Amino acid sequence: MSYMKNEKLNTNQGLLYYLIKQVRPKLAEKINQSESIETMIVGLGRQGTRHAQLMMEYGTNVTCGVAPGRGGTKVHETIPVYDSAEEAVNSHPNIAVASIWRHYSTAKDATIEVIRSGVPIVVLISEFIPLKDVRNILVEARKHKTILFGGNTPGIIFPPEAIKVGMLPDIFQAQITEDGTIGPKGVTILSRSGAILYHMSDALASAGIAQNGVLGVGGDGAIGSRFVDLVSLVMNYDNTDLVVVAGEIGGMQEELLAQDMINHPEKYPKPLVALISGANAPEGKTMGHAGAVIAPGQKHGTFNSKKELLEKAGAVVVNHQKDLIDAVKTKLNRTYFEVENYYQRMKKKWDEKSPEPTWGTLITKVVPNNLIIRGYPLQEIIAKKGLLETASLLIEGEFPVGEMQELEEIGINAAKEEFLYNDKISKESDVSKLIGTFLLLDDKLSTFAQFEKNPSKIVVYSLGRVLRYLSIYFGNVQKIDTQSKENLSFSDLLYLGLVGEMPKDKMKIKLLEAIITACVDHGVTPPSAQATLILASTRANYEVAISAGIQAITDVHGGAGQKAAEFMLSAVKLSKENATDLQETTFELIKKTIKSGKRIEGLGHRIHTQDPRRDVLWDLSEKAGYAKECVAVSKIIGDAFYRVRGMNLPINVDGVIGAIIADMDINPKLAKAVFVFGRTAGLAAHYYEEINTQPQMRRIAFDKAIYKGQPIREIPE
Amino acid sequence: MKLYEYEAKQIFERFGLKIPRQVAVIEKLEDIDSFTLSFPLMVKAMVLIGGRGKAGGIKKVENIEEAKKIIEKMFQTSIRGYPIEKILLEETVSISNEIYLAVTTDPATFDIVLVTSASGGIDIEEVAKNNPELIWKKTIFDNAKELDESITEEAVNFLLKNFPEIPEIRNQLQNTIKSLYSTFQNIEAKICEINPLILTADNQIVAADAKVVLDDNSLYRQEPLLQSMGIDPRSKRHDVSEQTVFEAKAYKIGFPYLDLLENPDNFNEEEDKLYVALVPGGAGYGIFSVDEVVNVGNRYFDGKVVPINFMDSGGGPSLSKVADMFHLLMDHPVTDLIITSRFGGISSCDVFIRGLIMSLRDRYLQKRRMIPVYGRMVGTDLAAAREYLEKAKRETPEPLKDLHIVVGNQKIMADVIKDGIEYGFKIKQQEIRG
Repeated sequence: MSYMKNEKLNTNQGLLYYLIKQVRPKLAEKINQSESIETMIVGLGRQGTRHAQLMMEYGTNVTCGVAPGRGGTKVHETIPVYDSAEEAVNSHPNIAVASIWRHYSTAKDATIEVIRSGVPIVVLISEFIPLKDVRNILVEARKHKTILFGGNTPGIIFPPEAIKVGMLPDIFQAQITEDGTIGPKGVTILSRSGAILYHMSDALASAGIAQNGVLGVGGDGAIGSRFVDLVSLVMNYDNTDLVVVAGEIGGMQEELLAQDMINHPEKYPKPLVALISGANAPEGKTMGHAGAVIAPGQKHGTFNSKKELLEKAGAVVVNHQKDLIDAVKTKLNRTYFEVENYYQRMKKKWDEKSPEPTWGTLITKVVPNNLIIRGYPLQEIIAKKGLLETASLLIEGEFPVGEMQELEEIGINAAKEEFLYNDKISKESDVSKLIGTFLLLDDKLSTFAQFEKNPSKIVVYSLGRVLRYLSIYFGNVQKIDTQSKENLSFSDLLYLGLVGEMPKDKMKIKLLEAIITACVDHGVTPPSAQATLILASTRANYEVAISAGIQAITDVHGGAGQKAAEFMLSAVKLSKENATDLQETTFELIKKTIKSGKRIEGLGHRIHTQDPRRDVLWDLSEKAGYAKECVAVSKIIGDAFYRVRGMNLPINVDGVIGAIIADMDINPKLAKAVFVFGRTAGLAAHYYEEINTQPQMRRIAFDKAIYKGQPIREIPE
Repeated sequence: MKLYEYEAKQIFERFGLKIPRQVAVIEKLEDIDSFTLSFPLMVKAMVLIGGRGKAGGIKKVENIEEAKKIIEKMFQTSIRGYPIEKILLEETVSISNEIYLAVTTDPATFDIVLVTSASGGIDIEEVAKNNPELIWKKTIFDNAKELDESITEEAVNFLLKNFPEIPEIRNQLQNTIKSLYSTFQNIEAKICEINPLILTADNQIVAADAKVVLDDNSLYRQEPLLQSMGIDPRSKRHDVSEQTVFEAKAYKIGFPYLDLLENPDNFNEEEDKLYVALVPGGAGYGIFSVDEVVNVGNRYFDGKVVPINFMDSGGGPSLSKVADMFHLLMDHPVTDLIITSRFGGISSCDVFIRGLIMSLRDRYLQKRRMIPVYGRMVGTDLAAAREYLEKAKRETPEPLKDLHIVVGNQKIMADVIKDGIEYGFKIKQQEIRG
C-alpha cells in the first residue's frame, strides 16, 4: 500500500469546512456547491508571496491577494490582487479563510478590514503587534464571530484535505484507510507554539496516529481564539477522535479551558491530552514567546497551576514526548496508517532536491518547432488574424471582440499624428537605433502611455507611432498624411507607409502584414525581451522599456532578414547573368561566401529545426503571387548549405522574410524594419506582464521562466 | 518594559494626577549634597520589582544624618536579585486613607480591566483573597480611548461608600480614575497601578506609588514618551534582574537565550552530574526541550542531568548565527554536552549543519574547548545536509570526531536525547578517569 499524493478528502468532509459551517452556515452551503474552500493572502511582501506559493503547492486554493496600492496587478502570474479586503471579498464572495502577513505596524488595520469584510476564519501570522491594536482586533472579531488564529501563529493545516493556511510545513500525516484512500479521522492538535508541533507530529506519527487538523493559536501574550474557544468546537467534529493541546507556561489559557471542562463537561465529548511545556522554567524570565513567562506571585500561569486544573477536569497532562505517545495510544487504542508509509513519505520528501525557483509567463510558449501565443499556434494567427488583433491578443490574452473598430482608429490616428523629430538624427542610421530614439523623443506617445488605462490601446497606439517613424525612415510620411482617412484600413496605411504606394493587389497588403505578425514575439528569452523586462522590473516608463528592447535588435538578433534578402537577390542575379541553374548557383555562392569568412544569414535557429512560421509565410506568398526566385532560393538554401558544410542549418523566419521581401521587389531594409515593427507588440506585452505580476527589481532568471498560460486551443472564427 | 516609580509618577503628573513632590533621584550617596533637603523625607529604592516595602526599600527619614545612613545602606543591597542603583527622595504625604487603583489587562480575555478598592496598601493581595467584596472590578470590552462617564461614576460611588461624601473628594476621584485610564491608553501600557493612592488629611488624592509596565510591541511609536524619560526607544531597556554574561552575549548577537543556573560563569559543578546545553529550534521546543532533558534525566539517569540553558534558535538562522550559538555554549564553562535538534520545516537543514561544522572546525584550529554535540536533523534539504556532513567528516575527521548527528526521523527526539546523555556520561567519566 503506497501513499497516494493526489488523493484528498472531499472538502465538505473536512475539519476546516466544519469550522466554517459553525460560524457561517450560508457560506458553507456555497462551498458545498463549489466544492472548494477559497482563501486569500493579505500582505504580499517577501514572506506572504513566498508562502502563497507554498500553500498552493500543498493544495490550498489561493483565490486572490490584498496589497494596498497594488490593486489590478497579479501575484504568481495569475492570482488577482486587490487594494482592500472589501474589494477582494466583493469580487470573490466565497472567500472563507484569510491569512495576514502584514508588518506589525499595519497589521491592525489590515486585520480589522478583513474581519469586517465577513471572512469567517482569519489566520494572523504577523507577530509583535502592539497590545492596544490586538484589543481593537479582538473587539471586532467578537462582533463578527470571527475565528481568529494568532497573532504570531504559524498557521493552520488540514492534512486530509491538503489545505494549509500559513507557514506550517508538509510533515503532518493524514489517515490512510484500508482501501488506500485518505481518511478524515485522527487527532486534532491545538498549539501555542510552532516548533513544538514538529516534535508532536513526529512522536504521534511514529505510533501511527494521524492528525486531521493542526491549529496554531499563536504564541503572543494576547491572541484571538483561545483553547477555551476552540477545543469544544473541534471535539464536536465527528472525525476528531481526540484533541491534543500543546500549552506552555504563562497566561491562563489552559486554566480557562480546564475550568470550562469542569463547568460544562457535556461540551467536551472526546478525550483531551495536554502537553504542557515549562515545568523547569525559571520565574520572571520570558522564554521566547511573549506569553511564556511566569509572573512572580501569580496564581495562574505556572506549570503546576495548569497541570492541576487540567487533571481535575479529566485531561491527561504530559511533559515528555514518550508520555504523549503513551497517553494518546492508550486513549485511542488504534492506528491510522502504517508507520513505514510515513517514514517513506517523509524520506522521499526530504531527499528531494529543493526545486529551483521558477517564474511564469502567460504570453508565449516556445518549444522546438512550435510557438504558441496565448494558446494559439503562431502560424495559425499569421494566417487568420491581423497585426492589431494579434497585438491585443498578446496584451489581453484574448482576441478583441467588438472593440476592433476603436483600436483600428487609434492605430490610424497615431500613424497620422505629427511627430516632430530632430533633423540631426540621420535617417541613414540603423533602423533599430532610429526607432528606439524616436520612441524616447515622442511626447505624444509618452503622454498617451501615461494617461491611457487600457494597455491594448497603448500598444495599438504605439504600433501606429512606429508606423509613422518607419514612414519617415522610408520617406513615405507625406503619402500617409495626404491619404484621406475614409475607406483606408490600418493594414492599407501600413503598406503605404512602408512601401510608399498602394498596391493594386490587396494580397500584397495581406502578405506584408502577415510577415510583420510573424515577428510579434518569441517568449522572454530573446535579448530584446530581456532588455525590456529588465527596465520593466525597475518600473521604467513604457516607451523607455520598449525603446531598450527595440535597440537590442541588431544584425545578430532579428536583423538577419535584410542580409538574407541581399544574398538571395545576388544568387538570383548570378543565375540569370550566367544562365546557370539556381540550385547550383546558390551552392557555389554559399561556398564562395563561406570561403571569404562570412556567414550565410537567415539560416538556423537556436530552438527550431523547422521554424513554425516558415510554411505559412511561403504559403501566403504563393497565394499572393510573390513566390518567385528568391522564395525558390529560400526553399533550397538549407540543402545547398548542407552540401557545403555538412551541417543542418534550415532556413529560419528571417530568411523566409528576406526572400519574400526580395520577391515583392521592395527595399531589403524592410526586412529588419518589419521585425522591429512586429516585435514592438510582443515587447509591450512583456512590459505589462512584468509590471503587473512581478515584484519590482526582482532578479530575473530568464531561463527559469515557465509558460503558465492557456493550453493550446483553436482560433475562434 | 517596566518603568521606575519616579518615571511612572512623572508620566502620571503629565496626565493630571497629583504626585508627591520629587526632590531628587540619586545614583550615589554624594549626589545628595547638591540638593537642599527639608525633612521629613521619603527615601525609596528604585528597583523594577514589587515587594520593596517589605524588603526595606522604602523608608521615612527625619534628618540628614539618618538619610545618609539609610541611603548608604540601600546602595549596598539588592532586592530579589535587583541591585539598587537609583534612589528617589520625595516629600512625605499625610495619610488618611489608602486606595488601590489600577488599569490593567485581563489575563483571560486580554481586555482592559479597571480595579479599585478603598482598602489599598501593601496587603491588597490578602484583601483580594479574603474579602473579594472589597474589590471593585470592571472589564472594558470596547477598548475605548477614554473611560465612559458611567463607569467612572460607578467606581467613584463604590469608593465613596468608605469616605465622607465631600464634592472635593468626588471630583478628585473622578479625575484620578479618568486620567489613569487615559494615561494607560495613551502610553499603551499593559499595567498602570497606584497602590496606595492616598487620601490625605486635607482631602487631597495623591499617588504615593506608581507601577507602569509598557507594552514592548508598541515602544516604537512611543518615542516622544521614552525620549522624555531619557530612554532610547531603539534599544529596549533590559528590565529583568541582572543579565548573565552569556545572556548579554546572546542578546548582542541577536537570539533569545536564558541561563538556567545561577552564577553560570562561576558555578560549582558536581562531578557526578551531566550539564547539558541546548540548541533546540524555535521557542516552543526551546521550553519543552529543557523539560525533556530533565525528564529523561529523572527516568533513566537518577536525576543527575542538568539542563543549563533555554535558547530559541529560531526557524532559519543564518550560517554565522548557528556557529555563534554553538560557540556560546562551548565557551560556557559548565557545558558537558550539547544536544541539538534541527527540524527544517520551511528552512533548510543544510545551513544548520554547515554552521555547526564551521564552529567546530574553527574551534579546533584555534585550540578552543571542544564539547561533544549530539543531535538529530530532519526536514528540508536533508539529502544535501547529509552529504555535506559525511563529506566533512571524511575531510576533517579530527575536529568532528565528537559530532553525532542522527539523520532522519526514525528516532524521535526524546530517544536521541537519551542516547546523547548516555554518551555524555561515558565521555565525562573517561575524562574524570583520564
